[in-house]
Amino acid sequence: MVQTDQPSYKEYAIEEFLVRDEPYYRVVGDELDLFTAAYHQHIPVLLKGPTGCGKTRFVEYMAWKLGRPLSVMKEDGAQELKEGEVRVPLVTIACHEDLTASDLVGRYLLDANGTRWIDGPMTRAVKNGAILYLDEVVEARKDTTVLIHPLTDHRRILPIEKTGSIVEADDRFLLCISYNPGYQSALKDLKHSTRQRFISIEFDYPPRDIEAEIIARESGCTAEIADSLAKLGEKIRNLKEHGLQEGASTRLLIYAGRLISEGIEIRRACQVAIVWTLTDEPELQRSIEEVVSSIFE
Amino acid sequence: MSTSPLAGIEVELAKLPPAVLEAYKEAVETIEAAFGEEELVLWAKEGLAIGTQTVRSWESAVEYYRVGPQVSRFLSFPSFMQWARCGTYLAQDSPTLAVAFFKASSSIVPNLRPQYIPRWAGLGRSLYKGTWKSSTLAAKFFEVSPDLVRNLPFWDVEVFASLIEAMSYKSYDVAGECLVLGRDVLPAMGREREAFLSMARALIDGSWREIKTCLELVPRALQQVDENQTGRFLKLGERLAKVGLRDTSRFLADGTLSLSKVPAGSQGYILDLCETLLATSPEAVPPFLKSLSGVLDRITISQLDSWFHRGVDLLKDNPESGIAFFKVESNTSVAMLETLSSSLELDRVKGIIRLYCSALSGSSIDILDTQELVRKNIGWVDEDSAATDGTKVFLPTIVDHYHDKQDNFSWFKVVSTHQVGHLEFGSFLFDFTKPSGLFDDRRFPLEEDVNAGKQAAEEEGFEPTQSLTDIGRFLSLFQDRQLAFDLFTVLEDCRLDYRIKVEYPGIRRAANRVQDEALANRPNIQEMGVQEALVELLIHMSLEQFTELPVPIEYKDAAVVLAQILHELRNAQAEVEDTAEATLRAYEIISRITKENPPEEDWEQEDLEEPGDFSEEEYESLIDQLQAGQDASGESGEGESRESPEPVDYRGDFKPEMVQLLTRLQSDQDQQGEGEPISQEMLEQLLQESSELELDAEQGDINDSMSAFAQNLMKEAGTPPPNSQPGQGYGPLLHDDDQGGELEAREPKTFAYDEWDFRANDYKPRWCIVKEKTVDEGDSTFYNDALKNYLSLSTHIKRQFELIMPESMKKIYRLTDGEDIDLNAALEAWADLRMNVPPDEKIYWHRNRNRRDVAVVFLLDMSASTAEAIDEGRQVVDDRDAPDDPVEYMVWLRRRREGLVRRNYKRIIDLEKESTALLIQALEAIGDTYGIYGFSGYGRENVEFYVIKDIDEGFGDKVKRRIDKVTPLHATRMGAAIRHSITKLEKIDATTKILFLISDGRPQDRGYSREGVEKEYAVHDTHMALIEAKRKDITPFCLTVDKAGHDYLKGMCGDMGYEVLGDIWALPERLPMLYRQLTL
Repeated sequence: MVQTDQPSYKEYAIEEFLVRDEPYYRVVGDELDLFTAAYHQHIPVLLKGPTGCGKTRFVEYMAWKLGRPLSVMKEDGAQELKEGEVRVPLVTIACHEDLTASDLVGRYLLDANGTRWIDGPMTRAVKNGAILYLDEVVEARKDTTVLIHPLTDHRRILPIEKTGSIVEADDRFLLCISYNPGYQSALKDLKHSTRQRFISIEFDYPPRDIEAEIIARESGCTAEIADSLAKLGEKIRNLKEHGLQEGASTRLLIYAGRLISEGIEIRRACQVAIVWTLTDEPELQRSIEEVVSSIFE
Repeated sequence: MSTSPLAGIEVELAKLPPAVLEAYKEAVETIEAAFGEEELVLWAKEGLAIGTQTVRSWESAVEYYRVGPQVSRFLSFPSFMQWARCGTYLAQDSPTLAVAFFKASSSIVPNLRPQYIPRWAGLGRSLYKGTWKSSTLAAKFFEVSPDLVRNLPFWDVEVFASLIEAMSYKSYDVAGECLVLGRDVLPAMGREREAFLSMARALIDGSWREIKTCLELVPRALQQVDENQTGRFLKLGERLAKVGLRDTSRFLADGTLSLSKVPAGSQGYILDLCETLLATSPEAVPPFLKSLSGVLDRITISQLDSWFHRGVDLLKDNPESGIAFFKVESNTSVAMLETLSSSLELDRVKGIIRLYCSALSGSSIDILDTQELVRKNIGWVDEDSAATDGTKVFLPTIVDHYHDKQDNFSWFKVVSTHQVGHLEFGSFLFDFTKPSGLFDDRRFPLEEDVNAGKQAAEEEGFEPTQSLTDIGRFLSLFQDRQLAFDLFTVLEDCRLDYRIKVEYPGIRRAANRVQDEALANRPNIQEMGVQEALVELLIHMSLEQFTELPVPIEYKDAAVVLAQILHELRNAQAEVEDTAEATLRAYEIISRITKENPPEEDWEQEDLEEPGDFSEEEYESLIDQLQAGQDASGESGEGESRESPEPVDYRGDFKPEMVQLLTRLQSDQDQQGEGEPISQEMLEQLLQESSELELDAEQGDINDSMSAFAQNLMKEAGTPPPNSQPGQGYGPLLHDDDQGGELEAREPKTFAYDEWDFRANDYKPRWCIVKEKTVDEGDSTFYNDALKNYLSLSTHIKRQFELIMPESMKKIYRLTDGEDIDLNAALEAWADLRMNVPPDEKIYWHRNRNRRDVAVVFLLDMSASTAEAIDEGRQVVDDRDAPDDPVEYMVWLRRRREGLVRRNYKRIIDLEKESTALLIQALEAIGDTYGIYGFSGYGRENVEFYVIKDIDEGFGDKVKRRIDKVTPLHATRMGAAIRHSITKLEKIDATTKILFLISDGRPQDRGYSREGVEKEYAVHDTHMALIEAKRKDITPFCLTVDKAGHDYLKGMCGDMGYEVLGDIWALPERLPMLYRQLTL
């Protein structure tokens, strides 16, 4: 969807794209109501759930739904915005272990005339009343999570130490983070002081019929194949307690569906998109392949 | 003058060719120095005697004088003279012999005890038969004997010489060649020499020519055959030779080839087979060995057994065909190999099928072979039929239906899909009260009728029985319970087969094939009574044969309605309740039909592919009609008894009532106090009524086996049998432990801990006593050997751990003081200055401020189960660190081999220990604080907690020696051990604390984990202990080598980290790596 070969950030057609098209999101439970309510009540939201179950898509959808155009920024976000364009309605930051506080808040840069302060993505989101989405927040450095604290309680402020200023968040601003529990690393976990500033919406893979609908819609494969893929997903997730670290995500199932729509033979598509992606263990691979070969003719 | 005798001798010597005197002169000084004057004379005289014996004996004398000085250094004078005299005798017979004798002497004397010299000379002499050829042979013997004597014990030389002598009667040339070969080959034979020599001995009479070939072949055999087996192998050759086998060399060659093909561990087994064969028919051994390598290309060692025994049986009946069998020249043999090579053993695909079934059903399914189920004796009796008891799927041990492995696997798949289908599509979830979606519910009115009837009977003293299961309740509605059950089985299987084909189109082809074959094996409908024929008709239709079905003309309408009923179930929406309604209808129809056998002309072929929709009206009118017919004929339905249909083999043994019963028993256990629990009497009653049990025994026996069944069933479900005696079985232990109250830790080094009772949802206060003990010290060799055996791995791990250090050595930026200026920070500070903002003074960077601060406790499972030997199994070969240098490589290879050999006998605990050794080395490399403990124990008042290395103790030889003494002990009460480890870790001040649990199975202890319900207790307690750790900021991690670990670890560890190690051999490598990963 994102055209990264564009020469500069400004030329992303992403806003137009979103204005034209509603992001496809299939509501499963009451998550839409919950999020809307939280948004109106200024309560930060924590999205929990396994990989590829639609967390990011949900935020995009909510940004669209709540009536603001969306733009995705890279986390270094240093590029200038076009003159006159001030709104940054959904700022998605993929967190990683070298993400520091000033990457988020902003920094001084030198130019010919001296120094110039550049707002970081978080500051911009706070100023412009955007939804700030920190993806995989546990990956970020611990000091960044502390930045979140004043923003996420009743104060809703972002102190910028460098400029000696405090930014009070726009009324429309909302912080939203995602978190995938079940990581094995012991040293990466969300602190309770951080966690308890959010409401948590749990995501899981949708039920079979809804998932089939999503697969069909997203991959363009036939309803029958989508249904079988959803069935496959369900069966594979049953193996999660038997050596599979993660079940097949909806995203993977969609990939398989897309390959199939492109004319790849079904079993082969499942093998490359699902089986081999999920595990390297031969016995497990073989077992999943047997399930695939039972479901597909 | 004293020199006169000597001078006289010299004069005599001078008469001989001049070389003699020259040789004498050269030697004389040395000899005199060695022995003295008198002896010198004797020496010289002996030489003269030799030289003057025959015309050519002067040559011997020359040699005699020449070697004298050398020989004199090793012998005392008497021995020396004895030696000389031996030469004299030889020279009498043949100067050539004497020459060879003397020539060899200089090199043989140092290695031969003096008293053997005459025997040695005698050996050579015995080869001399007065002919030219024999003297050459004897001379050759002396020539090679220094080598022989140097490398073999003397008695072996004697045996060999006598062998050569025996051969010389046949051919001097061959004997000579063998002599030389023997010199080269025999020394290398080691302790197998004796076996070989006796084999060769046995060959002399029949086929002496073989000996040479054997000598040539033996070195190869010794290389290829496992050294423990070579003796047996040669012995076998000897026995074969003794019974007159001609081509022993072939036997050796073929045998070596075949044995080299089988893994070293199985060679003994092959030799066992050979010995068996030898007893039956020695002639069959060589063909067997010859074809063995070919045979083993096609089938596995474990399959060999059945092939072999078939051959032996043939051999007993008809030796010739038996031998042809072993030559793989008979059809029987070829066909059998075909079958065996394509057959598939359950063990080989168990893992795959287990995961496959678990995926399909969504619950944890165990795969066991059917024999296991039969052994449990809970109602299933057929070893060939697949079955399920609700949580496990039972499959036959081996499938050999097809001549292709893939096809056989497909068969497994079809069968297990069908069994799992029972679970996935709810055969056992039958709920009597749930309405049917496809039919009107006739069950409920029928039940009322039946009950009304029973009430009427009750007034006459009849007591109604309460059904324990929904299926039982349903089946008890029918007078002919067996018929109802048969129909229910057919219709439910039909529903499942259809549903499976809809849900899993991929399996359709294989399923159709299996169905077609099942159809082909069905009995002929036209030979049956009408009732049986109609049931059989349903079976045919359930196997998807709808055309050309023979139907009795008179009951054509009934057949059509039955087909309609069956077609209703061929619907993806059909549920088990629909099956029940269909059963009810089919029963009503069939039970109203006469049982007699209609004549042949009364049959008609029918197509029932599209019988039309089922309608309740049509059905009712059919029933009325049949009822009228029955009333008219006056038949009461009693008559000759109806037989149940032949089971459809691939569908297995379907016992819904048993499964529902087991489930009910289990849930009774889990929720005690809810409703009346099932007693053994109730169970027996139920079993008596059930149509699922086939008992051939007499009435009295039935009662016995009923109670056995009932007890087994209860055991299976985890209920203690009510009438078991104290001290017998497992019943009392359970209660024993539940009684009593808090325990007191009175002795030093004992600690009391609470235990979590998940049923009460509360802790049992001070429930366990942990006794801390230090492991005895053994030998530090174990530790050192472990490091040596895993040299490459240990270096690898060490390197990996040392790499952590640079990671913590990385630059830390933005410090107030440091090695150098941090450019980014400096620029910012400068920019701040320009902006009149107070700059950040942290503009330096520095290395290594980030100290690792990790404390870890390793908890080793020392339960009895760790004594289990690890099967040799496959093993990942670790070639990563193979050195390039050839010399180093050989060393490396040898080490690795040694490692492999040793591992064959390894137990789980040994691997745990070795892993610990590697881990210690790694931990020492990075300097983490660590403690290593083992735990075991028996009962709650005796949880043993063994200190291998205390957390605040330094590492040293003591610890190394303790590792040696870590041995498997008793049970595993994990909870208490974990709690004690937590106490240990709490005292340590570290930012990261880790508790690392290494186990080989479930937690188990008396009153903690008994099979059945209590496993849950142990798992819950352990889970709670791990949560306690987490609450205290300790990160728990469980590593288990139990393949089935996924089933309970999920529950035990929850969202805490765990790993199941599929391949136990990977433990030494995985453990340190896992730890590293965990703490980065």
